[in-house]
Amino acid sequence: MKQRRSDNPKSTGATRSGKGNVVPERFLVSKGTLRFDRFMTQAIQVGGLVVVLAVFGIFAFILSVIWPLFGGAEAAEGDTMFELEASEGAILGLDDWGELPFVTDGGRELVFHPVDGREPFLREAPLPDGAEVSSLRHDPGAQRIVAGFEDGRAGFFEVRYTMEFEEGRDRRVEVELGGEEWFEVAGGPVHAAAYADGGSNKLLAAVHDGGESGARSGLAVVGFHQQRGLLGGGRIEAMPKEELGHLVGGPIAEILIPATADMIFVATDQCELVFLAQDRGEWTVRQRMRMFDNPETRLKTLGFALGDNSIVAGGSGGEVRVFSLFPPEPGEPRTLGLTKEFPGLSDAPVLFAASRRNKTVFIASENELLIGYTTTETVRWRGSVEPGLAALALNGRGSSAAFLDTAGRMRFFEINDPHPEAGMRAFFSPIWYEGFSGPRFSWQSGGATDDFESKLSITPLIVGSLKGTAYAMLFAMPIAILAAIFTAHVLHPSWKRVIKPTMEIMASLPSVVLGFLAAIWLAPLVEYRMPGVFLMMVGIPIVVVVIGYAWSWLPVHLRSRLPTGLELVLLLPVVLGVGWLCWRLGPVVEQWLFVVEMPDGEKVADFTVWWPQWTGLPFSQRNSFVVGFMMGFAVIPIIFTITEDALSNVPPSLLAASRALGATRWQVISTVVLPVASAGVFSAVMIGLGRAVGETMIVVMATGNTAIMDPSNNLIFGSPFGLGSGEFPLAAQWNPFDGMRTLAANIAVELPEAAQGSTHYRTLFLGAFVLFVMTFALNTVAEVLRQRLREKFKLV
Amino acid sequence: MTTSQPEATPTPNSAVGHDPAFIEVERFSFWYGAAQALFDISLEFPERRITAFIGPSGCGKSTLLRNLNRMNDLIDGVRHEGDIRLDGTSLYDPAVEVISLRKRVGMVFQKYNPFPKSIYENIVFPLRVAGRGSRSELDETVERSLRGAALWDEVKDKLHESAYSLSGGQQQRLCIARAIANRPQILLMDEPCAALDPVATLKIEELMMELRKEYTIVIVTHNMQQAGRCSDHTAFFYLGRLIEYAPTLQLFESPAKEQTEAYISGRFS
Ligand SMILES: Nc1ncnc2c1ncn2[C@@H]1O[C@H](COP(=O)(O)OP(=O)(O)OP(=O)(O)O)[C@@H](O)[C@H]1O
Ligand SMILES: [Mg+2]
Repeated sequence: MKQRRSDNPKSTGATRSGKGNVVPERFLVSKGTLRFDRFMTQAIQVGGLVVVLAVFGIFAFILSVIWPLFGGAEAAEGDTMFELEASEGAILGLDDWGELPFVTDGGRELVFHPVDGREPFLREAPLPDGAEVSSLRHDPGAQRIVAGFEDGRAGFFEVRYTMEFEEGRDRRVEVELGGEEWFEVAGGPVHAAAYADGGSNKLLAAVHDGGESGARSGLAVVGFHQQRGLLGGGRIEAMPKEELGHLVGGPIAEILIPATADMIFVATDQCELVFLAQDRGEWTVRQRMRMFDNPETRLKTLGFALGDNSIVAGGSGGEVRVFSLFPPEPGEPRTLGLTKEFPGLSDAPVLFAASRRNKTVFIASENELLIGYTTTETVRWRGSVEPGLAALALNGRGSSAAFLDTAGRMRFFEINDPHPEAGMRAFFSPIWYEGFSGPRFSWQSGGATDDFESKLSITPLIVGSLKGTAYAMLFAMPIAILAAIFTAHVLHPSWKRVIKPTMEIMASLPSVVLGFLAAIWLAPLVEYRMPGVFLMMVGIPIVVVVIGYAWSWLPVHLRSRLPTGLELVLLLPVVLGVGWLCWRLGPVVEQWLFVVEMPDGEKVADFTVWWPQWTGLPFSQRNSFVVGFMMGFAVIPIIFTITEDALSNVPPSLLAASRALGATRWQVISTVVLPVASAGVFSAVMIGLGRAVGETMIVVMATGNTAIMDPSNNLIFGSPFGLGSGEFPLAAQWNPFDGMRTLAANIAVELPEAAQGSTHYRTLFLGAFVLFVMTFALNTVAEVLRQRLREKFKLV
Repeated sequence: MTTSQPEATPTPNSAVGHDPAFIEVERFSFWYGAAQALFDISLEFPERRITAFIGPSGCGKSTLLRNLNRMNDLIDGVRHEGDIRLDGTSLYDPAVEVISLRKRVGMVFQKYNPFPKSIYENIVFPLRVAGRGSRSELDETVERSLRGAALWDEVKDKLHESAYSLSGGQQQRLCIARAIANRPQILLMDEPCAALDPVATLKIEELMMELRKEYTIVIVTHNMQQAGRCSDHTAFFYLGRLIEYAPTLQLFESPAKEQTEAYISGRFS
């Protein structure tokens, strides 16, 4: 910058000192310089502020995205209200859209109350003539009302809601009753009936008084078989009626049949849950269990959560318990077990309704409503209802609930719970998902079926990130630091001029290329050569140490012939030779050490089989070992260059001082160079660590990028047959021969598929946030430690 | 890092106990790359004597001194001709272990260079690298060396504080203490008193007189009084050449060369 001189000293500002003496012009700073200085100061301040704001902006944005995940449900009462004259015990039903609720008192006629303002209308139920209804049950998922009669008949008819679109008018929900089927099942009145349609087989069960153990102890069952032809359902054929009351052996309170129509869950008056299943065409008791610990407790409500794999039971003491079907040991038939328990209601729960969208369940006592999410065992909302609840029904999405209050009015709740499956528990605690033998940390964000539960534990992703980083650092750190020491303080400086730029080029290698190499070349190459790789890992260091030791015993006059550092270069072919030898010897060692007996008695030497057999942990081709190796390659150049700089910046005077005091080459390095450069080396390691934690492409490519095909399924998704039952073994996460999924890779793979604003989308952002916090914490700790080191070895 | 050289390989002439050593420099020339720094220098350092190097800045005093313990080896592109012998064995003999040579020939640098460690650790460093050091031996060494370097009274209460907490002059004395901690046979001192006050200087001179009873000492100094006071022999260098080498008294009272006289009398042009 050109400095303009002012000819007139007065024009340059304060030219007079305190005593009024004129300051000679040569002592003044030119205006231009001052202006430029001021401008640059401002520019730097503005720039810094913009950066800080940008960081905070990103932070705020991420927070705003993840914030709703941690909120509960909101429920508010709607304006619509119908006065009706229904008595207690009435059944309330609601269509999927929540627009056409109906009430029925005795089941003979259904009264529909359109919420869009149309007049209420009445439909006659297609019941058999002259039969008196003795039990009634509404199955909203199947749009079906199951009825039992005093004369021993039972059956069902359908309440078919349809959405009508007509020109010039809004869409409208219409209803039609029909599809009725009635069967003779019992000799006397039917106290409870249940029906399920499992496709080719259907099942109707009825509780009656004809059993051996008194009233309500008979259980009549009729199975149906429907031939499935090319043209859809064929003829329905009823099987002979069976009496199962003796299997239960007591008065029956409630029965449930899942949609598969191959099991019956019977709850007795004694609060025993009897699980009846068909074993080779024969009904047998698969399991009996007590539902409540307190013998005084009586069963008040019983119902399925979505998917019919979990039974929610409400006890008279206010208990709300969830029993799920799962195999106690891998491969065994499923039995019921208590998997979850909600904090109890203050009063006995009497009403139950399950969402047809997710695992949300509504349980109500007379004055209190609890909305819970069974999977995560969390209460989403709870509140009281005045004057009291008499019936409850949900629409399809679970966004609207209709209820009858004890004053005979029909009222509505609007429920807003966009992220029921999220929450602290879901993300960070082991969750007992349906079908699992125990609580697990599991991530599986999408599935093929409708009743699939997304598993959103980010714990395995965090562990995956740490695992990838740890393996990469384990490999990269010693190599990079030793190489930097060698280049900076052993090798002749002329070599450094070649090595450093080469390493810097390596650092800029796109990680996609490394990931590609790992997936396509390295993983298949080492898959069946693991013993050789082990041998190298052990053999090369040993040979180097032995040669070094032997070298130190050579007479001085032989050693001093070689210029400093060159002897280590001469070691290179030896190392390569040993590496090659180890690689070749690998199969020999495998023959010797890693022999397993196959089921057919044949002995096979194969590490890939041996490892899962001996440790119970899976072996996959694209494993952490490969990822660690390749990620190590991505990290080595970074650690190397920064470490090398730090080591080279150790003042030569200190090196001279230690040499003059008789320190050997290694002593100079270990006692002077490394301590003085420790802060720099530490920074290098931390920067490498940061890169490894956030590394995405290598992990994505080298572990396979599809969630379902992911070889690490067993770990991340807690497969029911991978790791045995019970607690999820976190230690198994560190299996080097298994893959992993890191937070960063997960975001890269799944974010394009996640619908904006969905739970999945927000959870991915939560992953980003955790990554952010992790690196932030790591950097902070690192910076504190680094400052300490700097303070300790500062050179002033 | 497995190739560290054993420090205990005996050299052919390794002296036992505190026998002083005797150094001969014969027709020694030295180059930094293409630039010649020393020209055909021959001289002998008598044992148990103090030899002073004087001469204007840049004349090669430090260069020659650094060659006596082969500290110059590490500089890129250096070359020498002629020979330097220690007790009759060439320093450049392939059988000479440089590490043990440097243990025999201690050195104090022109610029003080303590390690960023505690005072205590600085002094015991030569013992640590030699693999020695019972607690009592280390303590004893620290006290002896610090007393020798006239620093004991000033630092005895803060031995475990950083060496950088000392003043420049104190740091220089710490370096001297460190150099004598392992009792070398020969002590090379490159302007040890440049940063010291007169009292400390006097103490260092006293130390030298003390050490002279057992060791051979070579000192570079710009202080004519110091050279006159405490050296037995003085060598005057000029532009890489040895101009005059004589007993100190003789060199100062009746210099043989005109340049010498001009230099010591301060009339140097
Ligand atoms: N490391 C080096 N590389 C190249 N040239 C050097 C180096 N060290 C010294 N020289 C040169 O060698 C000559 C002698 O330097 P030396 O340090 O021996 O002088 P000196 O007599 O000790 O001077 P002073 O009294 O200022 O310390 C000088 O011309 C200097 O430039
Ligand atoms: Mg000098």
